[in-house]
Amino acid sequence: MKKYCDKTYKIISNTEIGQGYFELKIQAGAALLRACKPGQFFMLTIPGVFLRRPLSVHDAKDGEISFLYKVVGKGTKILSRIKTGGLSALGALGNGYPLDTPLLPIIVAGGTGIASVYFLASKLKNKGILYYGARSKKDLLCLDKFKKLGWKIVVSTEDGSKGFKGYITDALEKQLTANKEPSRDAKLKNLLFVCGPNAMMKAVFKIAKEKNIKGFASLEEKMACGIGNCQGCAVKINGQNKMTCKDGPVFKIEDIEF
Amino acid sequence: MNLDLSVSFAGIKLKNPVLSASGTFGYGYELADLIPLQRLGGIITKTITLEPRAGNPQPRIAEVCGGMLNTIGLQNIGVKTFVEEPLEKLSKIGTPIFVSVAGFCLKDYVETVKILNAQKGIAAIELNLSCPNLKKQIVCADLPLTKAVIKGVKKASKIPIIAKLSPMITDIAELSLIVQNAGADAVTLANTYPAMAIDIKTFKPKLSTVKGGMSGACIKPLTLRCVYDAYKKIRIPILACGGITTGEDAVEFMLAGASAVSVGTASLISPENIIKTIDAIEEILENYKIRKVKDIVGRLCKGKDNDRC
Repeated sequence: MKKYCDKTYKIISNTEIGQGYFELKIQAGAALLRACKPGQFFMLTIPGVFLRRPLSVHDAKDGEISFLYKVVGKGTKILSRIKTGGLSALGALGNGYPLDTPLLPIIVAGGTGIASVYFLASKLKNKGILYYGARSKKDLLCLDKFKKLGWKIVVSTEDGSKGFKGYITDALEKQLTANKEPSRDAKLKNLLFVCGPNAMMKAVFKIAKEKNIKGFASLEEKMACGIGNCQGCAVKINGQNKMTCKDGPVFKIEDIEF
Repeated sequence: MNLDLSVSFAGIKLKNPVLSASGTFGYGYELADLIPLQRLGGIITKTITLEPRAGNPQPRIAEVCGGMLNTIGLQNIGVKTFVEEPLEKLSKIGTPIFVSVAGFCLKDYVETVKILNAQKGIAAIELNLSCPNLKKQIVCADLPLTKAVIKGVKKASKIPIIAKLSPMITDIAELSLIVQNAGADAVTLANTYPAMAIDIKTFKPKLSTVKGGMSGACIKPLTLRCVYDAYKKIRIPILACGGITTGEDAVEFMLAGASAVSVGTASLISPENIIKTIDAIEEILENYKIRKVKDIVGRLCKGKDNDRC
């Protein structure tokens, strides 16, 4: 089978799930669903803007692939208004998160970084802890879905409208320092999975280094092609320029040089 | 109708006039999973330099209306690594391979071209004399250097040499004539246009180098003019490069005088666009009952308002 394909998918729904946040569902065949890994993304054609937009897979099951996105600019605004018909997309692209870990997964997500890590949590064998930060209560998504998966959840909001007031990285550091092992099962070592704004990820990487915790992060950069040809999305990995789209978007935390 | 899409370009037989443009197609073989590469008229690799280059910092890409800006900065693996792996894979595809080459001085160009000449499977060398994303002035803005590079490279190469020029030149036709007289076998017209964009959320430039090169559909009319002007002045063939997204675009460029066209940014958006371009040229020829694509080259100029015909 081809690694990825470029075709038009039927839109099932494109619903506002929170103020300015949308979940887009497209119809997908069994082979693609099987091939789709957490952390992978699609390049979506949006009429009216020049470049395709990369969106990471939020879920893939029951004949559907879904994407969770926030309206941030012209492209996502147009996308949010498309409710039916076909959607041309190239995917699934990139390398996803490793799934076969015996360790205790700790997911740290900021903002719409929650999109790809929900799919991840649903595929990981061990239930873990989600540290999830957003601006305000209304920006917190998917909490019920993580609960359903049986994950422990720690949230923070910048305005204090829900959970810990401040940054999620502060909450994470506090807990890691207080408990040493924030583990549900003290025998298990932690493994971090990180997706969110660069400032948040930087802070997590620092904590990971200090506490000597290994992990993986999904990066985001502006890209034109999604398959390594434009070389727009370069990121420094272990001293070398790697492409976020093709070599990533998931990299080992210790290799990422921000 | 038995259509003939083949063209002869600088002595190279192309099965059709549509090539991949440099810098938008990787080293050339990576898309084999996605599109039938052997259908392309030819593949132009991303630009290779004598030594490997890490390229420019992030952000490297910005979208603009109808196009994009880039400042990749010629990130590449260097010619020595290129001839080991990518070239071998490329030569198995079954379509002519054009290797794009850039340098920072005459010696760089000549040495790189010498290394490539020792290899099999290269149909032509495209000299990138016009990358806008390096700190130095572009080569083709320096006439003595441009002439020296072409002469030096021609002496070192048995493979045809194509000079890729910048459109941001006072007189593109005059420059094309100069490179023809210096010995170039063909010209590629043109490269990206120096451009910039500012993020009004941060008050900062959208590219790390502030300025970058603009490509995509929005530059097509600008580059079409370059091809038209140059065609009237030169005898060597023109490879058009600038905003070609559809078969209609390709036909326009050929009518203006291009012997072949290259699809770049459009294939970043979807690699299939390059195959669709070939199919659409066929359809257009059929519609207008033209059997040979080469018969439309320069048709616009085959009238009274022309100092060439």
